[in-house]
This record gives sequence, structure tokens and C-alpha cells, in this order.
Amino acid sequence: MAGLGYRREMADWDISCIEADFFEVVPENWIRRERAPLHNILASNRPVHLHGVSLNLGGEGAINTAFLRELRGLMDDLHTEFYSDHLAASGDAHQLYDLFPIPFTAAEVRRVGDRIKQVQDVLGCAMAIENPTWYTNTGDMPEADFLSAVAEYADCRILLDLNNIDVNFKNHGLMDLNEFIRRVDLKRITYLHVAGHEFDERFGLYVDTHSQAVENKVRDMALQLNRQHKLPILLEWDNDVPDLASINRELACLHSTIM
Amino acid sequence: MSAFHDYVRGRTDDIPPGYAEPGMRLYRHLVYLGAAQLLEAHFPAVKESLGEETWGELIRVFIRESRWQSHFYGDLKDEFIIFLEQQAG
Repeated sequence: MAGLGYRREMADWDISCIEADFFEVVPENWIRRERAPLHNILASNRPVHLHGVSLNLGGEGAINTAFLRELRGLMDDLHTEFYSDHLAASGDAHQLYDLFPIPFTAAEVRRVGDRIKQVQDVLGCAMAIENPTWYTNTGDMPEADFLSAVAEYADCRILLDLNNIDVNFKNHGLMDLNEFIRRVDLKRITYLHVAGHEFDERFGLYVDTHSQAVENKVRDMALQLNRQHKLPILLEWDNDVPDLASINRELACLHSTIM
Repeated sequence: MSAFHDYVRGRTDDIPPGYAEPGMRLYRHLVYLGAAQLLEAHFPAVKESLGEETWGELIRVFIRESRWQSHFYGDLKDEFIIFLEQQAG
């Protein structure tokens, strides 16, 4: 099963021609917007899930319950119980509209875990947290252990982003895909993210640009997890979005029909 | 954490303890790009009249002084109008 992150660049595409089994959108882009395109997708009998960017789980400002009620309204409108956001900060007490690292410490497991519990109390359901890309961070816990500990503490689900694991391994050399996945409770995973990334020589770092085809290593791991554990795969392509035919080719590679 | 975000906002050039310089520079760059791309799209005439360099400096001041609250990235354009009015005043 392969899904696609639906972006506004795709608005002109005939939705029935997109060969995805499910879709994901950024709720912040739709809470205040006309939702006809999303209802068209639902009318084609394919679900639409929500993947947020502004929850600021790692930040210091109070969790915004008014925002969460709007979000709950969108979930109800789209008939989805799948809402995820990043195990990251999108600012401090304020928003900076990016994703910043949470120190990998036991103290942060409890602090951020308590914030996730608050979110789940307002939404009335479990949310999923995504392992983000990080470019520098502090703390004494291995990243996969931090992710697992937060998920267990908050009793939430995990949206496992295989591309982010690969980007972090290329940048920091700490934990490859196999090792990372071995340390995560697969039963908590909702689905998998795959995407492409680029090297930026100005910083000497691989950057999670979502602007490229998926690398073989990431795709192969996604297909393996899909076959062995029935985990759905979702393709993210947010920058330099190619034409429909190219997206369909990429989606075709993620449909695990060949054993 | 505030030392981290002070660097990202450009309030200080001191790398917070434990963090690496290339990664910190990248985070500052990503925040700049995020604001600049949205504001260029909404205020092309302001950018045109100021020129590349002055526009870039204006965005950097906007970020340095930022206390953005909204969950909606698009609301940055309203924050920028308030900021421009304050700058003019």
C-alpha cells in the first residue's frame, strides 16, 4: 500500500489519475481553507490523513487547545483518526516555522511525553510522532531509544520516517536503518515516510529537502517492512514537485506487488 | 534552549554549548528561507523597491525581533505588515 503527500502543486492534477492508495495533507494548510479537493479524494474511496508541522511538541509555549479543537474538527470532517506531528520543536515559546531538535535526554522524554498526553486528551485519540531530521543536537540517549521512550511514556504511535533516519546517519554516522528499526516497537508504527534529500555543500550536511527520488536503500527497507509487517508507505515530495507521470512511477516502485 | 533559538534568530553568534556550528548555521538559514520565501511571494514590490541587500537585512531584523504565535505559517504576512508599520513609526 503506497500513499502520497498531497501538495498544492498537485491541485491541477486529475485526482483519479494519481495512483496512490491513501493521501496525507498538512492540517495547518486546510483548517482555514476550502476543502473541496480533499472531499474529491475521499469521494474516490481513498483516505486522507493529517501530518502537522506546527504542534511544537519540543517547545516551551503552552499547548494550544483552541488550535487542537480546530484540528479535531478537520479530523472529523475528513473521517480520519490519523494525526501526526514531529518529535521536534517548531520554536521556543514562539513559532519559527521550522523543526528544531529536542535534546535526547530522560528529562525531555518526560516533559515532551507529558505534552503529547495533553494533546491526546484534547483530541480524544492517540497521535503519532515522527522521528525528524536533525542537524545538530545534544543529549546522552541514542536517538531511536529517545523516540521509543517518548512513545512508550505518552502511549502514542510512531510515524517512522525512513528518509530521516538515513539523512541523520549520513550526517552523523550514529545509527543506520537496520540498527534504528531494531530499537523501535514496530507495533506502534502507523505508517512509513519515504522521500529524497540533497547534499548542501555550504553546510557540509545532507538536507531533508523532499525534492528528489527515493534512494534505493530507503525504498528497499520500506518495501521489506511493508511485506513483513504490513506497514503502509507514504511518499513525500514537497519541493521541485515533478509531473504526475513521474510521481506515479515513484509510487509504482513502492507498491509491493512483487515478492 | 533559549541560547539555541537566540542563535537561530540571529540575536547572537555564540554557538550554544554542545551544538555544532554547521548545523546551527543551517537552522538559521532554514528559518531565513522560510520567512523570505513567503514574504517575497506576498510583497514583491517591497523587495523590488528596497533591493536584494536591504530586503535581506529587513527580513533578518524581522526574524531577530520575532515573537510569532500563530500555528499558521501564512499569518507571517500579517506579522510582517505590523513589523513594517513599527519600523516606519
